[in-house]
Amino acid sequence: MNKATRLVLSRIGFWILIVVIFVYLLFPFYWAFVSALKTQAELIQTPATLWPADPTLQNFRAVFQNESFMRSLLNSTFVALAVTLLSLGIGSFAGYALGKMRFRGRTPSLYLILAMTMFPQIAVLAGLYAVIRFLGISAMPSMILTYMLFTLPFTVWVLTSFFRGLPASLLQAAQVDGATMMQAFRHVLLPLTAPALVTTGLLAFIQAWNEYLFALTFTVIEEQSRTIPVAIALFTGEVARQEPFGEIMAAAVTVTVPLVILVLVFQNRIVEGLTAGSVKG
Amino acid sequence: MTDPSQTPSTPPRKGPSKLARREERTAAWLLVPSLVIILLIAIYPLGQVFFESFREREFASSEPGRFVGLQNYQQLLSMTIRELPLELDANGQPVIEDGELQYESWVRVLPREPMRYRAVTEFGLFGNRYVLGATESDFILAVWDTLVFTVVAVFWETVLGMIIALALTARFFGRGAMRAAMLVPWAVITAVSARIWEWMLQPTRAGLFNTVGSALGISDGRTNFFGDVALQLPSMIVMDVWKTTPFMALLLLAGLSTIPKELYEAARVDGANPIRQYFSITLPLLAPTLVVALIFRTLDSLRVFDIFQVVLGNQRYSMASYAQSMLINVRDVGLSSAASVIIFVLIFAFAVGYIRAFGVNQE
Repeated sequence: MNKATRLVLSRIGFWILIVVIFVYLLFPFYWAFVSALKTQAELIQTPATLWPADPTLQNFRAVFQNESFMRSLLNSTFVALAVTLLSLGIGSFAGYALGKMRFRGRTPSLYLILAMTMFPQIAVLAGLYAVIRFLGISAMPSMILTYMLFTLPFTVWVLTSFFRGLPASLLQAAQVDGATMMQAFRHVLLPLTAPALVTTGLLAFIQAWNEYLFALTFTVIEEQSRTIPVAIALFTGEVARQEPFGEIMAAAVTVTVPLVILVLVFQNRIVEGLTAGSVKG
Repeated sequence: MTDPSQTPSTPPRKGPSKLARREERTAAWLLVPSLVIILLIAIYPLGQVFFESFREREFASSEPGRFVGLQNYQQLLSMTIRELPLELDANGQPVIEDGELQYESWVRVLPREPMRYRAVTEFGLFGNRYVLGATESDFILAVWDTLVFTVVAVFWETVLGMIIALALTARFFGRGAMRAAMLVPWAVITAVSARIWEWMLQPTRAGLFNTVGSALGISDGRTNFFGDVALQLPSMIVMDVWKTTPFMALLLLAGLSTIPKELYEAARVDGANPIRQYFSITLPLLAPTLVVALIFRTLDSLRVFDIFQVVLGNQRYSMASYAQSMLINVRDVGLSSAASVIIFVLIFAFAVGYIRAFGVNQE
């Protein structure tokens, strides 16, 4: 075998690998999509077909007319947005203090927050009930409050390192001009953190959008507050005794497409946020 | 006018200045909201769970409950190993079916007093047959399953993630699209991906895997991936690996991008082949990233809940789905809390173990 053939063979091997990876990553999503387009008869037909013989939108129509599913879409959007905004607000305060100020208790606070990022949600589930009962709040505010268990530590951690990276001279210049620490924060530093806020905000939103354990547990007796993961996990059809997988797949596609678009638009920011802290730069 | 040298970056020598004191006060106020929330949703509930784990109380009832000491832990962790005697027929001869010796059922050998033991697993050793019994066999099995799940899933995620990351370091047409495709499994809601996989793994040829399996002649088209006990855990692992491999690949890709290209050129000049290059340059320099990624993924896997709860429900548990089910379905706050404490301790031990073993420096 001469050098040229070997090169060609290795190129072919490489492209086969790339195609295999691509199919592996996207096939389940493709399968959900084509299943959603199939008729009820074709869904239970064996063997399964790779492409719908008679594509129909009836599953999507059923999903959009399903009131409890549409409500869960609203619930999820509201909860995830509220969690994101609260985490960013509270987290940027903490990040500013931890990243740019000197005070006693700075290092313990940092370690506390770092430890929080590894906290297992299940460990506090029963105890959170006591808190919720004490506060007397319903399922939606409960989710908003408790989701900060995983969004807040991460937000604080990333924003702290971002604030620390901003040049101290900016703060000094603002102070020379007579600005207080808070004025310097609001008018000088916060605008500069916009990119970091977008990154952490996106990740917080996606985490909250994904959350299942708390949502499932808190909405057990409050069905009208169910979020998307719970609604899809407990999805039941109007009539069918069998699980309505056509509709479930249509619902799965419906909730995934906006997220995929969001992720593709902001992919660089998201990758940056995901890898923050894992690679020493 | 403020002296610029008196700014935070150069603290005053003699006692805190007015400015430093003011800064300290501002910092405290800025941290208060975060600390209050952490106290409210993490530290207090954790203490509460610890407290409840020593008590007996029904969930969501107004009864105050009572202190029971270590009883919940005892119920969760009591185990015993008993030998199973041979099954004998009326003449006292061992029963043989299909050429195999038959053993008595575990029901006859495991203790019932003071607590009833159930079989977790049976195993053969030196020609004898034993049964491992536990008073809370579901929990022991959940712990074991979660550990197996974690080790196997994290292993495959690392291997596949490494392959994907290495493939993506090459420059080729469509590399951007590939990187975007990697984010799709990551972005799909876990509970939703569980349902997609549940659909693909249907026990008839309406499911993708049974269709493909029977077309290739490796299954009869009726493989019951979630009903067959031997296939439940592998199915969970396949689902989890698909969902989390991209995260692993992204972390490793970021790590790979920090390795200077000149090292590879130098190695090539010295005649090192790609495999040699991988083991003497890539792997050692990637080690810190790999360790961090492994820690993230292991700790995450140990608390797996979504896919087990969605697909297997009460058929088979992960540690987290066991504790949740005890709380919500069985309404036993004490037992659920004790299980939560055990999970917390286990995860903590893993974290400390990793950090000890690899000496990760977080800052």
